[in-house]
Amino acid sequence: MFDFLIQGFGVALSPLNLGLAFLGALLGTLFGALPGIGPINGIAILMPLAYTLGLPAESALILLAGIYTGAEYGGRMSSILLNVPGDAGAVMTTLDGHPLAKQGLAGPALGLSAVSSFVGATLAILGLTLFAPLLAEVAVMFGPAEFFALMVFAFASMSVMMGKDPTKTAIGAVLGVLIGTVGVDSGTGVLRYTFGMPELYDGIDFVVMIIGLFAISEILLMLEHANRKDADGDIPPLGRVFVTLKEVLYCKGAMLRSGLIGFIIGVLPGTGASVAGAVSYTTEKRLSDKEGTFGSGDMRGLAAPESANNAAAAGSFVPMLTLGIPGSGTTAVLLGALMLYNITPGPMMFSERPEVAGGLIASLYIGNLVLLALNLPLAGVFARVLTIPRWVLVPGIAILAFVGVYQLHSDLTAIYLMLIIGVFGYLLRKLGFSLAPVILGYVLGGLMEQNLRRALSISGGEVEILWRSGISLGLWIAAAALLVLPWLLPKMMKARLGRA
Amino acid sequence: MKLAADRVLGLCLIGLAAFVAVQAVRLHVPFSYDPVGPKAFPLILAILLAALSLVLVLKPGSNGHWPDRSLAVKLLAVLAALLVYALLFTRLGFVVTTLLAAVALARIFAAPWGKALLTGVLMAVGSYYLFTAGLGISLPSGEWLRPFI
Repeated sequence: MFDFLIQGFGVALSPLNLGLAFLGALLGTLFGALPGIGPINGIAILMPLAYTLGLPAESALILLAGIYTGAEYGGRMSSILLNVPGDAGAVMTTLDGHPLAKQGLAGPALGLSAVSSFVGATLAILGLTLFAPLLAEVAVMFGPAEFFALMVFAFASMSVMMGKDPTKTAIGAVLGVLIGTVGVDSGTGVLRYTFGMPELYDGIDFVVMIIGLFAISEILLMLEHANRKDADGDIPPLGRVFVTLKEVLYCKGAMLRSGLIGFIIGVLPGTGASVAGAVSYTTEKRLSDKEGTFGSGDMRGLAAPESANNAAAAGSFVPMLTLGIPGSGTTAVLLGALMLYNITPGPMMFSERPEVAGGLIASLYIGNLVLLALNLPLAGVFARVLTIPRWVLVPGIAILAFVGVYQLHSDLTAIYLMLIIGVFGYLLRKLGFSLAPVILGYVLGGLMEQNLRRALSISGGEVEILWRSGISLGLWIAAAALLVLPWLLPKMMKARLGRA
Repeated sequence: MKLAADRVLGLCLIGLAAFVAVQAVRLHVPFSYDPVGPKAFPLILAILLAALSLVLVLKPGSNGHWPDRSLAVKLLAVLAALLVYALLFTRLGFVVTTLLAAVALARIFAAPWGKALLTGVLMAVGSYYLFTAGLGISLPSGEWLRPFI
């Protein structure tokens, strides 16, 4: 049953892939630590390079996955030291992490968060190893109708769980799907929304889309903070560098529980590290905050979200590898990267491309060890990254964005398109949209349409096929429940309270 | 009705939905092997988008913080710098345009002249060698510079 893992370790332990896992972990931690550059931006910036270097699919994926998990580690730096979350997953880390730093315990706080991240990620990778092949076996039975229903479910769960405003999340997803329809329709050869521009016949390139949406919009957004000199504050002294075993053991319950919560939330399609951090923190606060110390520098309040967000990052690989449905915005980007290699992740991947699936999972084990080894002793070095001024950062991002897009086709149209998408992304973010649904919609939209059309050609146009099987009916009901419950539950509670 | 950013956005999106729908209906499909064809999916999306946007128009959220005048000027300056970077990218070559763009961006992000120039020179030359020699990416070299070097 675990043949894929043995084969995977064979792949991941090759010198090239080992080096890439190490490089990914290092770069990921740096990207996560840099203000404004989260995992998606890091991957967006480096993906074109991985592609140009002619890396094989599994090696590219190992590098990018290393960046992803590394960035979840790095995101804690600015949360703890500056009270500014480095990415969405690290918001909860600020609550107890920053008070600890103010008490002169920044060093132990960083150490503890590295250990909790390691524990959470390890739990989730074990879960991934156990569950992914099982889920893949179930998913083999999925036909186009089931996949279509699954994607509807994914979008429903995303709308409810991601972002503050479900309407805007849903709009973002629809816009993403619409952008995905640009280009030649594979079924009929008809051109859709190309406006006579040959550059658009192949659709809007994935790399152009990602870099424009995330990197360029980030540059524009950073402008708002450019002049806030020292508003971020100075980096507090780290204090003693290592966390003690006693402190780690004090938090073991919080770490293990949160790791489990994070994994489960990560597996659900459309919900990622930020949700996991929030749920685990509130759970832990309810369970173990007897003295009311949470929020004023309780170690457990730091360990919980750190363990959970790393567990969610690893957990979100489960739906991506087994169903081809990404569990988070970042895995959506990784999914798109795999599609560049003409690999469509799905239930067949464990049997047809075990070197990719197994290699990735094995490299997660390795990367996780590397990250712990890097982050415990080098916290002080990584903390220095926070002091890089924005006027160095921004030209750097711009150069990487331009080169990344230009080298695709040596073509300027792609660069103009990237800038337009960047402005579009900036406007969306200013209007309170989160970008993850847009990218999920863009990546999944094409597959969604294909599956819908395939299902209906099987049935000869009868719509019933979409909910005829038990699996698909169940998914439709689950999707409907997700959409209705958050709206219905408060009303029912109120009605009950009114009667009592 | 109060004019809110979300209302304007909602109306724009309804317009977009209408445009998407009209374009989809007007698609000329010579033949289709499947019963759905290329029109239906964009039409469904257009209807969804219109419905969701209507919610936005009727129940707009908070207005958010929009850039004031000085920030808006800077925003346009950044965009202009990026646009000029793109326009001249192949004509003047990577090193020269990157130098100009990096200095301009660093200046907009409040770097003093000296530091901006240093950043620009180091980044332009460093990244050129990293990308071409190190990673084997071909970049526009700016042939016109050759006689001067």
